Amino acid sequence: MKKVFVLILIASFIILSFKSSNDYQFVVPVKWPKPFYDFSKNNLSNKKIELGRALFYEPLLSRNNTISCSSCHSQFTAFTHIDHSLSHGIDDRIGKRNSPALMNLAWHNSLMWDGAINHLDMQALAPISNPDEMDEKIEHVVMKLQASKMYPSLFLNAFNDSIITGEHLLKSISQFLVTLVSSNSKYDSVMRQESDFTIQEKNGYKLFKTNCAECHTEPLFTNLKFEINGLPIDTILNDKGRMNVTHIPKDSLKFKVPTLRNIQFSYPYMHDGRFKKLSEVLTHYTEGFQGGVTLSPKLQKKIILSSNERVDLIAFLFTLTDRSFLFNKDYSYPKNIFFPKKKE
Amino acid sequence: MLITKQNNTTASLLTTSQSKQKICCGIIYSFILFFNLEIASAQNNITRSIIFQPYFGNDTLHLNDTLYQNGIALQIEAFKFYITGIELLKNERVVYTEKNSFHLLDVSEIKSLTIPITTPAKVKFDKIIFNLGIDSLTNVSGVYGGDLDPTKGMYWTWQNGYINFKLEGKSKVCNTQKNEFQFHVGGYQFPYNTIKSIVLAMNNKEIMTIRTDIKKLIEETDLSKQNQVMSPGAEALFLSEKMKNIFSIQ
Ligand code: HEC
Ligand code: HEC
Repeated sequence: MKKVFVLILIASFIILSFKSSNDYQFVVPVKWPKPFYDFSKNNLSNKKIELGRALFYEPLLSRNNTISCSSCHSQFTAFTHIDHSLSHGIDDRIGKRNSPALMNLAWHNSLMWDGAINHLDMQALAPISNPDEMDEKIEHVVMKLQASKMYPSLFLNAFNDSIITGEHLLKSISQFLVTLVSSNSKYDSVMRQESDFTIQEKNGYKLFKTNCAECHTEPLFTNLKFEINGLPIDTILNDKGRMNVTHIPKDSLKFKVPTLRNIQFSYPYMHDGRFKKLSEVLTHYTEGFQGGVTLSPKLQKKIILSSNERVDLIAFLFTLTDRSFLFNKDYSYPKNIFFPKKKE
Repeated sequence: MLITKQNNTTASLLTTSQSKQKICCGIIYSFILFFNLEIASAQNNITRSIIFQPYFGNDTLHLNDTLYQNGIALQIEAFKFYITGIELLKNERVVYTEKNSFHLLDVSEIKSLTIPITTPAKVKFDKIIFNLGIDSLTNVSGVYGGDLDPTKGMYWTWQNGYINFKLEGKSKVCNTQKNEFQFHVGGYQFPYNTIKSIVLAMNNKEIMTIRTDIKKLIEETDLSKQNQVMSPGAEALFLSEKMKNIFSIQ
């Protein structure tokens, strides 16, 4: 009796050790830090990622079935939205912040400009329930998906369960989000010694390293910390940033350092989208600081850039554009799911 | 390119072999399950019940009934709370720890007020320990299913975290819309961590009844002043301290 049991145990281990074809291998780019996201709690699979991708483009997630995540996070602008400084949601309601570009989220240890969300899995709940964004209840989203034609079978394929739960819904959205990795810009190919910067870009890189890299740290181009970069407060929005979460006065006006990858396409800039152009951003860093704002110690030394240097720095920032990310078909609207071709 | 791509033919081939694999695994697992059950019954486990009985003072609590506190009428309309981390102790040593111990209790669903636990029949204990609320590690570790599923309505979404307990009702003294009071208490970060550990004496029983007297909380609050607590902070902390005292042995 015992022997049989042991044999079966061994057999099952052997079978389990063959990774099934559905598994998705998350590749950490060379020399990048270890991701923060714990994949062991949410094993990536192609089917779950596909499901998450469908959900990302799914307007059923909003109260009146008009707004999807992609309404505010569109691929061609590095998953931010472009015409609006502040986010634009359901019934044309205007939110309180600019939608951030989405990429390399597996490395983020908190989400939102102020870090109000502590885990990627829980992130989607915020826009779904925000009255200015999707204005819906997660319970109701689950009911709508369950009643739909396509989702019960997609959930069945992905999770072996056609009963849709909040857990499975959120896990699949996370799965899609963590696959949004941008690591293939010109900058990256230079680092891999596959190509060279122009003289201008090289000079820009030097200026970047002296003036910006302490906060916009390579290779993610953010140190993922909360910093004060000297923007004067918008007295109408009155957004205190990190202090909203911690209630600690010294956190007032701190915001999560945004990545500069794909910055060429992710305008307008800053948490409230106040700048449309990178030249305006540089003007802020060289002469825009206003009295009364406590600056980060990292910005105590005045940044001085000649007009040539400004051009060089921007040329460098453009090397962070990753076309294989912006035009990656695996991230785009999943036509094949929403409009499947009939089998002949 | 980071994305692992397969051409279509290999992908479809692999899916058929994969479904065979699944069937295989299924058979093997049902065997293992069968053997495990055998071993479990050999150890002679029994199922005990922990029953939370809601009271308002001396009376059984019925939602929406008119109740009196110092002559002032009030109603309780909803009362839900998380009980987690159940352990049994003998002479201050842990003799039983429930695995995956997360339970959402809802006074409007009688069934949810009984927690079955399976322990070795012979285990001897003199104390029960449990938490009111969700620990901070669980609060920062992403999404879970079952009673922790965020569709259960016990979750804050704008600054994420579990709501450890919800108490809602009405009283004339509340100067609010429809005279409502709403306590949604949670928060897992220092100094406003609202999870509370509760220790009760409990002797080797199979049915453990825990008196849950909500009057003990109402007595301690001035509903005319404190009637809307919906986010982590000092008020939530105050309520969680008081809430701790509602549990006692029948
Ligand atoms: C109405 C516009 C809108 C919609 C719809 C929307 N978002 Fe956002 N998103 C935002 C804004 C604005 C922020 C920043 C909010 C803040 O900082 O408070 C944000 C932040 C995020 C972040 C955090 C990024 C970071 O770097 O911290 C992620 C991830 C995200 N959204 C994913 C989603 C997903 C998934 C959906 C669909 C379920 C979604 N968003 C729907 C506007 C939107
Ligand atoms: C003290 C840390 C710090 C330093 C140094 C710093 N930044 Fe920033 N940067 C930030 C923070 C914080 C934000 C977001 C501020 C906000 O939205 O309120 C930001 C935002 C930006 C943005 C907007 C990004 C977006 O997606 O909206 C750009 C562009 C930018 N910085 C470029 C630079 C450049 C170029 C330099 C060097 C000249 C630099 N930064 C130096 C902290 C810093």
